Amino acid sequence: MSDFEPKIIAFLCTWCAYVAADTAGIARYKQKPNVRVIRVLCSGMVDPNYVLKAFASGADAVLVGGCHPGDCHYISGNIKAMRRAPLLRKLLEEMGVENGRFRLEWIAASDAPQYAEIINQMSEEVRSLGPFSPSTIK
Amino acid sequence: MGTNPVPNKKLAIFTATGCRACENAILDIHYQVSSLARCADIAFWPYMLGSEVRDLEKQESIDVCFFAGAIRTSSDREAALKLREKSRIMVACGACAAFGGMPGLVNISQWSVVSGQSQRTMDNKQQTNEEEKPELPPLESRVLGLPQIVKVDYLVPGCPPTQNFLWAAIQSLVCNGQSPARLSFAASRLPEAIAQAITSGILPPKGSIFAGEKAVCASCSRVKEEKRFETYKRPYQAYEELGRCLLEQGLVCQGITTQEGCGGLCTAMGQPCRGCFGKAEAIFDPGAKMVSAISSTFDSNDAQEIAALVDDIVDLVGTFYRYTLPTQCALFSTPSKD
Repeated sequence: MSDFEPKIIAFLCTWCAYVAADTAGIARYKQKPNVRVIRVLCSGMVDPNYVLKAFASGADAVLVGGCHPGDCHYISGNIKAMRRAPLLRKLLEEMGVENGRFRLEWIAASDAPQYAEIINQMSEEVRSLGPFSPSTIK
Repeated sequence: MGTNPVPNKKLAIFTATGCRACENAILDIHYQVSSLARCADIAFWPYMLGSEVRDLEKQESIDVCFFAGAIRTSSDREAALKLREKSRIMVACGACAAFGGMPGLVNISQWSVVSGQSQRTMDNKQQTNEEEKPELPPLESRVLGLPQIVKVDYLVPGCPPTQNFLWAAIQSLVCNGQSPARLSFAASRLPEAIAQAITSGILPPKGSIFAGEKAVCASCSRVKEEKRFETYKRPYQAYEELGRCLLEQGLVCQGITTQEGCGGLCTAMGQPCRGCFGKAEAIFDPGAKMVSAISSTFDSNDAQEIAALVDDIVDLVGTFYRYTLPTQCALFSTPSKD
């Protein structure tokens, strides 16, 4: 288990979270290399289908990053993401996907250190959860 | 050949693990039962004729087999393989055969739990009634739909399949070539692609689903508005404002993810759609789609209020994948046999 490297799919909103990720790279913050970033226009466009498809295709965890409530470029896209997340998390839990494997985080464009911290924290948490495989139930 | 230019088709009807409502649905075609008997020889039907699976050896071949029920035990699998071997056309009839159905929900439990329990029941029975101990064939490691173990030519979904679709399917597959009037009647009830095939005298393309192309909402008679709800209700708690969309009234209605074909039977009577026709074609995962649909109707911007609303909604897997867990859930399904 020690050489297990988690695969985390991160859907990052192009206005805040993606900028934070970009800045975190430029500023050379130390980050775990377990994240595959998918840049989206808004956290509100991350359909629950995307999250399920990520898990079904072999992701160990999914992160959705958006602007803080009130800061959305499209006024209320992140509120839509916020409404969706608890129900999706509940569905995933019922299907045996642990809570820590799906996260919705608000990351401001200027907050590169926070982005790096979330990534590092999440990588470690998922590493301790072990690989996710829907086939464990088969 | 005598007066009848087309020889009668040999028909087999079988239920694996299921409640036999699909077989009752076949009997529920009213007076047409007699015309079914005119254009088909029923070669194998344990429910009505008391046939046994081993009798299948005597059959040279079967033209059409209506297979209902999920694959739960090894004897289900054997029967499915044997019927597939003998049948020219294999039809998965009903939600259990087509998608795994309600018995498929057992797949969310770990296999060890399932087998452990059934073993205990067996032991109890053996202790109490040594004389006539019932024999449960070995269970499969997980419940499967028919398309996951054999190649299936057509699917007739529904729990049970609705009478008009079932009769139209029987006419187009079993009674084809018998009477133009009957065929045009069947065609009028079937989705366009299938209807075109039947009226031009050929079989519908393999893999056709005898159901509509859109979602149930397309044929639901209820009025849709932009409405949001603050509390979630169970079906027994709400039966008001008959004309309004059930999802907007705070009921978990799955019409939005479910394949059309029933004509909105349940929603017309104030019952939320349960999803027995399986997911509509354009949908990736019915559960995810329902999460999206329900959460978009929450009337709150406050994380705690939303969490409280979500707490009220129970058994998401059992609701969203009620009939489809083994075949249509992105995380639980296994691939079909081409």
